[in-house]
Formats: sequence, C-alpha cells, structure tokens
Amino acid sequence: MLQIIKFIRKANIMAMQIIDDSLFDKAFDLFTRIKQQNFEYVYRGFFSHNISKKILSLADVNIQRSLGVSALQKRIYYIMVEGLQNISMHQEDADDYLEKYPGIFAIQKQQVYYYVTTGNLVLNERIPDLKSRIDKINSLDKDELKQLHKEVLRTGAISDKGGAGLGLIEIARKSGNKLVASFELVNDKYSYFYLQTRIPIQKGEEETGDDYSKLRSALISIKKLHLTLNVENILLYFNGFFTQENLLNLLSIIKGRMNLSLTTIRLSNVMVEMIQNIIKHGHKIDDNEGVPGIFFIRQLDSGDFALLSGNYVTQEKKKLIEDKLNFINSKDLDEISELYDEILLDMDNVDSLRTGLGFYDLRIKSSAQLQFKFLKVSENLYFYILQTIIKNVN
Amino acid sequence: MEPIILQPTDDTPEVILNPEEKIFRIERVSVPEDAFEFYQPIIQWIKEYGKNPLPETVFEFNLEYVNTASNKQLMQLMLALDEIAQNATVIVKWFYESIDEDMLELGKRYQKIAKRINFEFIEI
Repeated sequence: MLQIIKFIRKANIMAMQIIDDSLFDKAFDLFTRIKQQNFEYVYRGFFSHNISKKILSLADVNIQRSLGVSALQKRIYYIMVEGLQNISMHQEDADDYLEKYPGIFAIQKQQVYYYVTTGNLVLNERIPDLKSRIDKINSLDKDELKQLHKEVLRTGAISDKGGAGLGLIEIARKSGNKLVASFELVNDKYSYFYLQTRIPIQKGEEETGDDYSKLRSALISIKKLHLTLNVENILLYFNGFFTQENLLNLLSIIKGRMNLSLTTIRLSNVMVEMIQNIIKHGHKIDDNEGVPGIFFIRQLDSGDFALLSGNYVTQEKKKLIEDKLNFINSKDLDEISELYDEILLDMDNVDSLRTGLGFYDLRIKSSAQLQFKFLKVSENLYFYILQTIIKNVN
Repeated sequence: MEPIILQPTDDTPEVILNPEEKIFRIERVSVPEDAFEFYQPIIQWIKEYGKNPLPETVFEFNLEYVNTASNKQLMQLMLALDEIAQNATVIVKWFYESIDEDMLELGKRYQKIAKRINFEFIEI
C-alpha cells in the first residue's frame, strides 16, 4: 500500500514537472525576446494616480542612474509626467475594458535617443480629433509651438477631456521632436492609441523628416512587446536596475492593483525575496549602475501566478545557488519546514547563500518545485533565471 | 532605561520599547536590505532590559510584510525574550490578518522554539 502511495506521489510530482517545464520554457523564450530590445523600463497594467506616481519614480530612478540629475533627466521626467497623465485621463473612458486591454508605458534608450512611449485605449470616435491635433502640432516649428502653447493657455480652449491639448503640446516642446502616433483597432468601440516621443541625449540631434521611419520602427517594437505582454498576461513587468528603492515601488504597485488576499500577500513576500536575492547576489556589470535584471509576474490560464526573475551571476555564485536549489528541490515540504526552523536559529549573518532562508521560504509558499536555468554568457558569467509558482487560493 | 522609539519607514517597522509606559511593540513592514543592522540595537536593548525586567512584559507584534532576513532577527529577539521568561512573565501578542495564514504560521514557528513565552495569537 505504502509503495502505491509513494508511486502516486512520485507520478504527481513528475506530472507537475512536465507542465511546469513547458511554462518555464515559454517564460524563458519571452524573456529572451524582450531582453534584446534595450528597454529601460516597461509597465503594463492599470494606471491609477498612485500607481502612476510609483511608475514615475521607478522610471526616474533608472534614468538618473544612466544620466545623473541633469537638465536632460528633468526633461524626460516632465515628458513622462505628461504621458502618464494622458493615459490616466483616457482610461476613464474605458472602464469596462481595462482588465482585458491594459495600457503600457515604456522607456527605451537606443543610441543617442531616449524613447518615451505610452499606449492606452481610446474611443474610436475620438481618433479623428486626436489625429488632427497631432498633425497640427507636428506641422509647427519651435516658435509656432510656443505661440500655440500661449494661445491655448490664454483662450483656455479646453478639450472635453480637460487637457486643453496642452499635454501634447508640452510633450512636443520638451522633446524638440515630432510626435509619433499610431492607432490599433481593438474592437468596434476602442483602439489602442500609441504615442511615442524621442528625446536626443545630446543637443542638436533635432529631427529631420527622413528620420521618421526610424521612429516608426521603434514604435513597432513597443507595439509588439505590448501584444506579447497582453497575450502572456503579464501583470507586472520590470526590467532595469534592482535596488531596494525600486523594490518598494514595485511592492506598492502590486498593493495598488490587487485586492488584499492571501495570494497577494504571498506574491508580495515572494517578490521581496526574489528581488532582494538579486540585489544581494546578482552581478553588477558596471559598479556605478547597480544590479541589472528582469522581473515579471504572469497570470497563468489556471489562475495561478508565475514569478520570474533573471540576472547575471558569477560562476562561483552559480555553483552555490545550483547546489542549494537542487538540495531544496530534493526535499519534501515537511523536511523543508524542519530545515527552516534549524536555519532560523543559525546565527551566521554573513554568508546568506549558505544560511539564508530565502529559497526555503519560496519553496514553502510555492505550489511546485523551484525552477531555474543558467545560461553561459562568458567565461565566468551566467544568466540565471528563477521561477516560482504561487497558487491562486482565493 | 531609555526607551527606544523608531518611526516606521517604507521598509522598516515602527518600534516602541518603553518599560515605563509598559509598551513593547513592533508593527507594520519589515523588509530592510540589512535586517541584522536594523535589529541588532533592538536585540541588545532587550538583553539589557532582561537584567531588570518588569514582572510582566507584554510584547506586541503586528506585522504586515516580513522578509526572511527579518525572520532570523526576530528569532534572536524571541530568544532574548525567552531568556527573560525564565524569571518573569513574558506574553507575546502576535497579531495577524485573518487571511494571512503565512503570518500566523511564522508566529507558531517562534512559539515552538521560544517555549517559555506565552503566545497569544490574535486575528485582526
């Protein structure tokens, strides 16, 4: 009898492994596709006032890391504020569809430009008006734009969205470049409205007409990413430098967008462990820039959640992590729980990879074994991916 | 003894250790990067307090998020309280959100190890 029970248990574990492996491969595939695009920061989801504030400070921390506090950083900040306001203004029109078609906000750095892109639902009936406004703005030169800005301020030609169109004018003025807009039909009521601005890192890189096609292709890459994030149902996505400050911002974003439940609490706790693990053990490519990495949360078809982190580690760390994860995966939950108590009492605070509780905690909170992969990047460097599955118990 | 009063931050809890007012409390969020650094002075204070404790110490924990690095430090803190419980009464009131069974479980772990403390588990 005992034999049979053992057999069934083993078969169950194996079945779970098979399913999870395919999920993991898919996540990995998604990860590599995204990684090539050089996104500094991407957010997909609902944009409340509070979430927008957190997104802004997350993105700004990332930009400050590359640019320092500078006039350029402030200009980008300003453009981000206007862009985020633009999104939250429009999403009021689309309450019933937001769950299914969330917006996107992305910062990309490519060669000598920063790109700020927003994507959100708009009512189809508003498209002609938006198009003509953008065309008008794009037809004006610097002085004419300034003139228009003054005029709108003075006459208070308030649009029905209360924005007076000032946001778009400001974005165009601050960037010194043309606005690139694109509309993707979603259904008979809504379309996605994508707006991309590019900001030259060095002055004097102002737009000439024939650059327009390059801008278009930068926008296409974001649209593709947005589609992927939508199809894969990625609730939270972060790609950039990991710091405690960023982690706290991500935590409040989760809090802001999900109802309080055991699942949410677990997601938050597991995210804290995974990201602090990156901060502690991840390899810095450049000493000044912090630990680069990626983190995202996917909701699976089953309703469960998959949390995935990716970062660089040295060969030495790889060995330690690998050994520890293999060890943990070889134990059942009762054994893990006993080990947890032992480690709680272990006073060594120095070598957290040996005596840390992080992985044990992940294993206890997860409904499956921890999955991981190491990809060789160079002689001594690996890209390390970890996935934790959290059951939706609500 | 000089009380310890620490205002909460985004990643560290509010801490009040005040024997005169009979308030011993740690609450909100505890997810610091360096939990050892944060909790060391607190644990030292409790050890010092243990030399001449009140006949009854009621210590309240009301935590929302705790990272594992804090878990280890809280274990040390519990052990310090457990020492005090040798000669005085120590009650730990462990508050947890009704939905948060993980937080309850953490309290139970401490109870299992710090056997001389009287634990009360209180659902919010």
